[in-house]
Amino acid sequence: MWVIVEEVRKSFAILFAYPVEVVFWIFSPLLWVIPLVFQGKALIGAFSSTPFGALAGTDEFIPYVLIGAIISTYMFSAVWSMGNSFRDETYYGTLEHILSAPVRPVYILVGKGVYNSVLSTLFVIVQLLICVFIFGLEITLAKIFPIFLFLLLLIVGLYGIGFMAAAVTLLIKESHGIIHLFEYVLFLFSPIRYPVEVNPITKTISVFIPLTYALIALRGLLLNIDFNFWKNSVILLGIDCAIIPLGLFIFYKIEKRTKTRGTLADY
Amino acid sequence: MREERQPSRLWRVKDRVFHYLRAINAENIKEWRIELKYKPDFIRQFFEPFVYLFPYFLYGFALLGGRYSEHLRSLTGISDMIAYTFIGYLFIGFLNTACWAMGFSLRKEQWFGTLETIFVAPVPRWVYVAGMALHSTCHQGLIMLIQAVVITTFFAIVLQTSGLFLSLVVVLLMLLGLYGLGIIVAGLTIALKQWWVVSEALATLIVVVTPIAYPLAVLPFVLRKVSMFLPTTYGIIGVRHFLLGEELVVGLPTIILRLSIILVVWLTFGMLVFLIMDRFGRKRGSLSIY
Amino acid sequence: MLENSDIVVEALCKVFKKGKPDEVRAVDGVGFSIRKGELFGLLGPNGAGKTTLIKCISTLLIPDGGSASVGGFDIKREPLRVRQHIGVLTGGERSLYWKLTPVENLRYFATLYGVPRKVIKDRIDYLLDLMGLTDKASVRVEKLSSGMKQKLSLARVLAHDPPILLVDEPTLGLDPYFARFIRDFIKNELNKKLHKTILLTTHYMDEADELCDRIAFMNRGKIEALDTPDRLKQSMPQKQTLEIKCQGTLEKETFSDVREAASINISHEDGFVYLRMNTDNPEVILSSIIELIREKAQIFSVRVTVPTLEDVFVHLTGASLKDG
Repeated sequence: MWVIVEEVRKSFAILFAYPVEVVFWIFSPLLWVIPLVFQGKALIGAFSSTPFGALAGTDEFIPYVLIGAIISTYMFSAVWSMGNSFRDETYYGTLEHILSAPVRPVYILVGKGVYNSVLSTLFVIVQLLICVFIFGLEITLAKIFPIFLFLLLLIVGLYGIGFMAAAVTLLIKESHGIIHLFEYVLFLFSPIRYPVEVNPITKTISVFIPLTYALIALRGLLLNIDFNFWKNSVILLGIDCAIIPLGLFIFYKIEKRTKTRGTLADY
Repeated sequence: MREERQPSRLWRVKDRVFHYLRAINAENIKEWRIELKYKPDFIRQFFEPFVYLFPYFLYGFALLGGRYSEHLRSLTGISDMIAYTFIGYLFIGFLNTACWAMGFSLRKEQWFGTLETIFVAPVPRWVYVAGMALHSTCHQGLIMLIQAVVITTFFAIVLQTSGLFLSLVVVLLMLLGLYGLGIIVAGLTIALKQWWVVSEALATLIVVVTPIAYPLAVLPFVLRKVSMFLPTTYGIIGVRHFLLGEELVVGLPTIILRLSIILVVWLTFGMLVFLIMDRFGRKRGSLSIY
Repeated sequence: MLENSDIVVEALCKVFKKGKPDEVRAVDGVGFSIRKGELFGLLGPNGAGKTTLIKCISTLLIPDGGSASVGGFDIKREPLRVRQHIGVLTGGERSLYWKLTPVENLRYFATLYGVPRKVIKDRIDYLLDLMGLTDKASVRVEKLSSGMKQKLSLARVLAHDPPILLVDEPTLGLDPYFARFIRDFIKNELNKKLHKTILLTTHYMDEADELCDRIAFMNRGKIEALDTPDRLKQSMPQKQTLEIKCQGTLEKETFSDVREAASINISHEDGFVYLRMNTDNPEVILSSIIELIREKAQIFSVRVTVPTLEDVFVHLTGASLKDG
């Protein structure tokens, strides 16, 4: 347990050595939304669209994309940071020391996961505050418990994918490409920027991505859009139950393989 | 032995220029060779633009319930959202060239451990950046060509081929301006540890205020003024005018004139920043630290 | 004298973190000149300022004071011409593209250094042959051993056939076989046969003693002494050195009362403690020394030798080359 706490503490200490990056990560999801706002204005001439409402359940597309951008912070954090965490350790030259310490690597992995989700939650809160107080986003926080429930279910699922990304890094040293690919799939096929119903392909693939259900539910809760609470929570829970053991299984398999082949500290 | 130490032929101007050009090309070839050794990453780069582009298309589809927008037509003269967005995104790809490929070049040498080795070679330091500019322009050009062929075929977009030459001229001017930006970023990477944040923030800002997926008319007043100082604004407006017939908000001679002024200012400013940062790095001794 | 010199350094200074509490005077008023064809050594412990000095001379750093010229060109005013005349080799770090082959590396660097296109191929073949790397010509550098990488780095330095070489810790981290090869190559091939002027920095005393025509001792940014290795050793007031190899814990202070012993140095190597001291009468002080050690350590051997450069360094600076 202390290993997890120590991992979180260490990661925060390293992060605060780079304060500019913290500011960047807070603002970047919001900056990415701005072009979508202008694009909407150019195409529709207003900030509400009936065809959009038919797909998304709300005509107001700006709050829709804002929530998408904010929640996708978790996705980038899980896949990118987890995928790169071991890569960073290789650069620092500390990877072999960490993996040869007398603790199961799963604790280190969970430690990194906890750190990233705490950090992302802080970012998400700041982003929400900016959106509410500066951009006048109207959200309802009355259902605070279900919001946290869905966030938790989302985080767990995403870190299952993050474990796989970490494993891939151990296996393929130049893993940026693969991690990007992971991200692309999640980005393109989940309703971050648009309702996935817009295209049959995105609709089909989105079914397998935990982010889809979490985004539907969180938008529903924050923007008062109708959605099926039980269906989304049960599916998310189901995906989580499958994805975490799968992520760990893949990580262990690959860790064992790299140890056998002795390619751990290569880069 | 004495003869050997005399300034060699290299120092005659013609020879020196020839030497620098060869060094620029050597840098370009070296980069290709290294890139081709990371095959999965190399292949990925050809898919990446599509993944960035499609969300804009899908978002547009969701908003319009189709491909055509009357409102866009009233603003620009073009109703096809796909064609409009695609041309914008195609050429903004060169922003990557400046911010990432060129800016990243010296940082990468630091990682390889080769920065000091190439910095003791008898060529000025801008030569490496120029070599990197050549490489990344070729690289980005290839990616864009593939992207253009795939998207125009897939979405049946008809481009005005008669405007191809003039659009290339505009792109060239835009590109030279962006090199100025690339040189600034490359210079900053020498001195700043968190260079990529600066680079990314700059790129994001440029993407927001450049009329890529929307005309200048929808931008707030302040952002519209900012965009007037960017080469990308005129580059994209010009290209879209020549290839799709977008109605121009400023006249063509004005576009060319402003682009020319911008590129001179950016290149000069870029070289200045680079020289100051290089001197700063050599004074402080931070060249090999990262 | 100066007319015949390839490198002239005068009162050179380089200060890091200037004006701050943790200011470091890495190079502090250094001056020397190196004759054409001379193999000149800078010997000093880690952190003495050797690498900073080499970086100033190779135009990678801008000095804060003083001047230096290389091949007759001023390092501040004509850095490009300086770079045209030098080859810089550093040890123990990456200075090649690991993803490229030796041939690809050499072709790139040769072009960068302005080697004419017509000659490049012959030059690469010659260098690979010289280094015994012909059969590795198409293997990626990352697959070569560290010794081979260092050989290839040497080939890279020679790509444009520079008359002056700046060689910084060339054998750092190499196994004894490759270290020997690199030393022999520097002395016999580069210096004696090709008449290169060489400025070599090292913290290995034997390396400097074996290779260099003249040596400058560098400590804390300053040059403490400069002469041929023999003359430096002869400058010692005591003509013999007593060396005791033991295991245990020893401190210099224990021997401060031994009147006929000077420049006491304690170093650790391979699990043993080596006590060295300079004296004119080893047989006189031996018994009292043994008496002092006996309580603290177990003695394995005692020998009397002539002073080495290490002893001279200790005598002059009070510091050991292995410090830092």
